[in-house]
Amino acid sequence: MTPQHRWPEGPDEVSAELRRALDEASLHGPDDMTLRRGWSAVAVQVQPARTRSGFWFAGGVATTAALVLAGSFWLWPHATELASSGHPKAAAKSDSLIAPGARRLTLEGGVEAVLGRSSVMQIEDGAPRIERGEVRFSVPHRQPGHPFVVRAEGFRVVVVGTRFGINVDGKTEGNVDGKTDGTTDGKTDGKKAVGVDVDEGIVEVWDAATQRRLARLTPGESWQSPEVAAEASPGPATVEPAPAPSAPAPRISTPPTTPPKPARSFQHAAKQTAARTLALVSPRETATASERATSPAEAPTAESTAARVALAAGDAPRALQLYRTLAQGTGPSAENAGYEIGKVLNEKLGQPANAVAAWRHYRAAHPDGILRVEADVSIIETLARTGDTDEALSEANDFLRRHPDSERRAEIARLAGDLYRARGDCRHALAAYQITLGASRPRDAVEAATFHRAACLVHLGDSGGADAARAYLHAYPSGKFRGEATVLAGGGSGAHP
Amino acid sequence: MPENPVNTPGLMRAAPSGGSLTADLDMVARCRRGDSVAWRGLYDRYAPIVYRFLSAFGVPNEDREDACQEVFVAIYRSLARFRGEARLSTWIYRIAARHAGRISRRRRVRGLLSTLLLREPPPPPAPDPSERSERLQILDELMSKLSPKKRLVLVLFEIEGVPIEEVAKIAGCPENTAWSRLHYARAELMAMAKKRVR
Repeated sequence: MTPQHRWPEGPDEVSAELRRALDEASLHGPDDMTLRRGWSAVAVQVQPARTRSGFWFAGGVATTAALVLAGSFWLWPHATELASSGHPKAAAKSDSLIAPGARRLTLEGGVEAVLGRSSVMQIEDGAPRIERGEVRFSVPHRQPGHPFVVRAEGFRVVVVGTRFGINVDGKTEGNVDGKTDGTTDGKTDGKKAVGVDVDEGIVEVWDAATQRRLARLTPGESWQSPEVAAEASPGPATVEPAPAPSAPAPRISTPPTTPPKPARSFQHAAKQTAARTLALVSPRETATASERATSPAEAPTAESTAARVALAAGDAPRALQLYRTLAQGTGPSAENAGYEIGKVLNEKLGQPANAVAAWRHYRAAHPDGILRVEADVSIIETLARTGDTDEALSEANDFLRRHPDSERRAEIARLAGDLYRARGDCRHALAAYQITLGASRPRDAVEAATFHRAACLVHLGDSGGADAARAYLHAYPSGKFRGEATVLAGGGSGAHP
Repeated sequence: MPENPVNTPGLMRAAPSGGSLTADLDMVARCRRGDSVAWRGLYDRYAPIVYRFLSAFGVPNEDREDACQEVFVAIYRSLARFRGEARLSTWIYRIAARHAGRISRRRRVRGLLSTLLLREPPPPPAPDPSERSERLQILDELMSKLSPKKRLVLVLFEIEGVPIEEVAKIAGCPENTAWSRLHYARAELMAMAKKRVR
């Protein structure tokens, strides 16, 4: 913006000089070197802050040095071997991977990833980001509230369940300044199509930019990112159950009887990768993504496939019966079936009370199950929807205590806030909204919590209420509560809560 | 914002505001989780602002770089306390202002002790002609005669372009008090400038 200072206004030389001086001060800043020096110093100062005592510091340094040495001896020969043999552990040690052929890799937490031919996956801060190609994951049981997250283009795929695949199409759909040869270095304007399909468990796809959940996929369902050419941003959430297999392919589809798509063929990406990229060459590696996905030992059971087929055909009672049979067994399929029973009862058969009972049964049978968080959330949402506020609040408070790190925490806290507010209990609502604000996403929950918190403060006669409403207006100038917030910011009591 | 141009913040720059409240919260949350990319992003966004603010607030050249680093270390250690009730820029300005105040007090005490013990006046802050023009040096000299409270409000509003409601939050005073301090700071600065010309 052009500097146009408004004070001092006088036409005299002193005013003009003062104005110029203030403008100059406004534009005065450090040079790049100063900033870089500063960053180096800050980065050093904030990292070792935990070691305070000289004794412990010295001991820590010695121990670290010993561990590093021991680790080096242990890792060095392997590292050399890994580069040539494609040993799974290589994935966890590298920043970026390119697989000329399919590769099976073990990531942190025992997550197994199978990279398709020429797939490119980067590990950023311990989390994988798929740049191109197909990667199939097998995620072992995780602690509730600690989902495994994979990034692909502008999407976050949050894994609640066990086995799924992601395909980032190498063909660029957007405008890449005339380059449409299928190569990308990740810095073009073009966006690539992303596909997700689920073999077992539950996977959620989120828009990384807007923090909106776009889809929630159950076994057999798949999801494709919307056409980039058709719309600039990802489309709205489409989480309706899939239609029958004979119907035209929707964005989320259920092909229960067809095997997963084979890995697509991509150009080698070695030329486009940065210096830190590690190329794995493994002539001995045999299992491709498609082979692995269709191996009999790991394929979904016949009952679960039949249940999905029955659901797709609209035969919910049959699906329920199959899931109940499956739930009698053991292993991931039985656990998954235990959760699905509640889902079928709630969504297909309109029996919310029985659904809640089924999810509670699942919870009792699998207290640390993969779908524990999902079961909790489903129970809370169902209770709230059916008007059982007391139970919903009790469950929500339990959830907030039990899952301090859950990604669903903000949504549940916001729901609890709304329930408290509906009962006129603004004090508890405030505490709940505060939790939502601490979680920072999803955006719509945070926006609602920001506004309702202000409304509650005003209702309680707190002097910070108007400020909170102004803060809302500032943060969300075209937010959905703009009108009411304006009233509150102006000192009115508004219609809330 | 009042329509009166005298009540319009200097330059009306968007830089101090940083991102939206949600973006700020997200950035802070990522920093708390140890996301080094987010932390670097926060530094890149706010370091020039903090540096400029310290400079305008009278932190001498030889102390400025260290002060800026200390502010960021303080920010890093206080991230857990950022609740998102104010904008991140407001919160950072508050930390920087507190730090600049401490440096200023430290210099005053050091000067006083030097005078008492050594019976010779402390050396004046070293000018940095390579960086700052003569005009800026004169402005510094004039503003150094303002009280710290008035200088803080003047710097934030006239140089940093921070809206008065945010200025009040940073200074920890009611808005009316901030307006009042700004009014007197402007008047004093103008009077000193005119006196200097004469």
